[in-house]
Amino acid sequence: MRVQFKMNGGFVYLPARSEPTTIDTDDLPAEEAKELERLMEAAGFFELPKTSSPPRGAADYLRYTISATTPEHSHTVHFTDPIEDPHLQALVEYLEAQTN
Amino acid sequence: MPQQQGHRHSIFCIVPPDVLHDIARSGAEEERQAALETLAADSTFRTLRAIRQAAPVATASPATVSLAAMVGTGEAKQLQRTIFDCHNSRSLPGDPLRTEGAPATGDPAVDEAYDGLGATYDFYWETLRRNSIDDQGMPLNGHVHFGNRYNNAFWDGQRMVFGDGDGVLFNRFTIAIDIMGHELTHGVTEKEAQLIYQGQSGALNESVSDVYGSLVKQYHKGKQAAEDADWLIGEGIWADPDRGKALRSMKEPGTAFEGDRQPGHMDDYLNTIDDNGGVHINSGIPNRAFYLAATGIGGYAGEKAGPIWYAALRDPRLKPDASFVQFARLTVINAEILFPSGDERQIVQDAWSEVGVVIQI
Repeated sequence: MRVQFKMNGGFVYLPARSEPTTIDTDDLPAEEAKELERLMEAAGFFELPKTSSPPRGAADYLRYTISATTPEHSHTVHFTDPIEDPHLQALVEYLEAQTN
Repeated sequence: MPQQQGHRHSIFCIVPPDVLHDIARSGAEEERQAALETLAADSTFRTLRAIRQAAPVATASPATVSLAAMVGTGEAKQLQRTIFDCHNSRSLPGDPLRTEGAPATGDPAVDEAYDGLGATYDFYWETLRRNSIDDQGMPLNGHVHFGNRYNNAFWDGQRMVFGDGDGVLFNRFTIAIDIMGHELTHGVTEKEAQLIYQGQSGALNESVSDVYGSLVKQYHKGKQAAEDADWLIGEGIWADPDRGKALRSMKEPGTAFEGDRQPGHMDDYLNTIDDNGGVHINSGIPNRAFYLAATGIGGYAGEKAGPIWYAALRDPRLKPDASFVQFARLTVINAEILFPSGDERQIVQDAWSEVGVVIQI
């Protein structure tokens, strides 16, 4: 599975923070690959709506884009903070940690 | 939820404010009392706006404006803060940790959020006679320790949320008082103008938050004179001070940190799809216009430049998709209305011209 993660926006615009990160589970140690696949599945990633809008009047929120491709599926989702689903929160925190 | 307001005499809600003033001055005792209560439940600037709507701009006399400006709200302060601890989770609201009147907790993020929201409330109340976000005493909820090493602060439409920073790039987002002022002001803007968070209207939305965030800091420093202020947003937030002095400079956009791309002139306006069309980038242009207006007028910017921008924000002619030119025009018009005998109007117009926003009036 190939996963691309991009963050954008926030209180301050940092061009470097907007650069997408790509992770291929084939390149990860088996345990880490399994963890990412588990997080994707727990979040129901391939069933998530393509776009979720921020609450009315919200500002300075981070905007996230996650794309994932497997031999069977390809899906891209766009959403912003605050993230209500704890499973999606966990996935974002994992992917964010990979960008650091 | 907003606190329940006292009963207002419904008939007076539709009576123009200038008529209310007449009744308050010379009506029968019962009528006078009712009119005064209605006026008291309105804010100075709301009254001012209503007067402008009732009378063409060109005929709004200084006497009328000063009369409106002298009307106190008579409302009691309704500062009601609650700071929630998110325990490094991204789930809101978290647990209430400090409520209004409670002593300091010793947790810097909690206490800075509490103090920063208090200073912001006091600034709006004392300088603009505004009673919280909605002008009706809306409780102020701040949520700290949001997320794990979360490098951001945001307004979610109801509340202010602050991350701790990762300690590598950023420190905690409560470290600068103007950040609390900035986030709370997003609520004010949404209540007043609903500036669309995209492109130029989004950059104006951002700039208004920086303007009042900065003024909260200047107010907190003892009503600092514009020429003495640093005009920095987010001072001290970089974990490594060598990375920069702040996140934005209203005085010199593009100089706050290495890689700061904020322009200070329309010639350098950045067209981009990132950042909602560059809302945190192109806000440097109206930010610098405000700085130039404030320093051009001189003294504490909460006395004249702040009220001028506030009147423009509340002007019914301000559209949610306003461009820089449209907003600038309203600041010039309102400078003339608020200060008809001074040179404020010309200073404001010149400030916009200097950043490449040229207004024909």
